Amino acid sequence: MSPESRIGPDGRDDDLTRVLRAVYAAPADPTYWESLETKIMARIRGESDGWWLPLSGWGPIGLIAAGLALVFAGYTATHTREAEASLAYQMVMETPRTLPQQLAAAEEGAPAREATLRFVISP
Amino acid sequence: MPDVPAENDARANERTLVLAAQRGSSDAFAALVRLHERRAYAVARGITATHEDAEDAVQEGFLHAYRALARFRPEQAFGAWLYRIVANAALDIGRRRKVRDTDALPDTVALPFRDPAESDELRRRLGEGLAELTERQRAVLVLHDVEGFTHGEIGQMLGMPEGTARSDLHHARAALRRALSDLWSER
Repeated sequence: MSPESRIGPDGRDDDLTRVLRAVYAAPADPTYWESLETKIMARIRGESDGWWLPLSGWGPIGLIAAGLALVFAGYTATHTREAEASLAYQMVMETPRTLPQQLAAAEEGAPAREATLRFVISP
Repeated sequence: MPDVPAENDARANERTLVLAAQRGSSDAFAALVRLHERRAYAVARGITATHEDAEDAVQEGFLHAYRALARFRPEQAFGAWLYRIVANAALDIGRRRKVRDTDALPDTVALPFRDPAESDELRRRLGEGLAELTERQRAVLVLHDVEGFTHGEIGQMLGMPEGTARSDLHHARAALRRALSDLWSER
C-alpha cells in the first residue's frame, strides 16, 4: 500500500484533499455544462420575455367580467333612480308618521262630528 | 504567478458582458453563465449535500443574479458577487433539506485507492467524518481544499470574517483527521 493513500492523524493534508476532490469533483462532461447553461437561460428567458403570458389567457374572461360589471352598474343606476322617484312620490302623497298629534286627532274626530250633524239636520 | 495582462483582459471582457447584460442582452448573460457556471457549481457543491441540490442552487443563483443585475456595479468583481448569491441559494436549499441523508458518500464516487476494500472503508469513514462537521465547516473545507478559494474569498461568499474561515478550516481538518484516525492505527 502506498503511503500517500493513508489519511490519519499523521497523514498529510494533501491526501485528505485528494480524497475530497474525488468526492466533490464537478462533472467533467462538457455536455453537462452546455445542458446546465441551456436550463439556466431557459428559466431566465421565460422570466424576462413571458412574465405576462400567464395573464394573457385571462383577456377574454376579463372582457366578459367588464361587460357584466357594466350591465350590473347600469341596472343598479336605473333601479336606484326609480326607487328614488318612488320614494319622493310617497313622501309627497302619504301622510307622514310624524304628523303632529293635534292634527291627527282632529282628522280622527271629524267623521264623528259630521255624522252627528247629519243626524240633527236630517228630517 | 498569474498572467496579469491576461487577467486584465478577462476582467475587461467580463465588464463588457456585464454592461451588455444590464442593457438587456441575453446573449451577454449567457456568456456570463458559461464563464462562471463551473465555479458557481463548485461553490454550491461545497455547501449542499448532493449534486442535484448544487445544480438547483446554481440555477437559483443565476436567476437571482439576473433579477438583481440592474443593481450590480460593474466596477465590482462579477464572480465574487455571483458566488455569494449562489452560496446563499445553496444555504437556503440546505435549510429546506432538514434531513441530510447523503452524508454517506455515494458508491459511484471513485476514490483514489488501489485496494477496493480500503476504498469502501475510507468512503464510509469519510462520509461519517464529513457528517460530524457543521455545514459551515464542510463548506469552508471544500471551498478551500477542493476549489482553491482563499480564506478571504470564502469569508466574502459565506458572509463571515476571513479569520473565521481560517479557524473553521483548521477545525474541519482536525475533525476529519480524528474521524479517520483509527483507520490509520489499524494499519
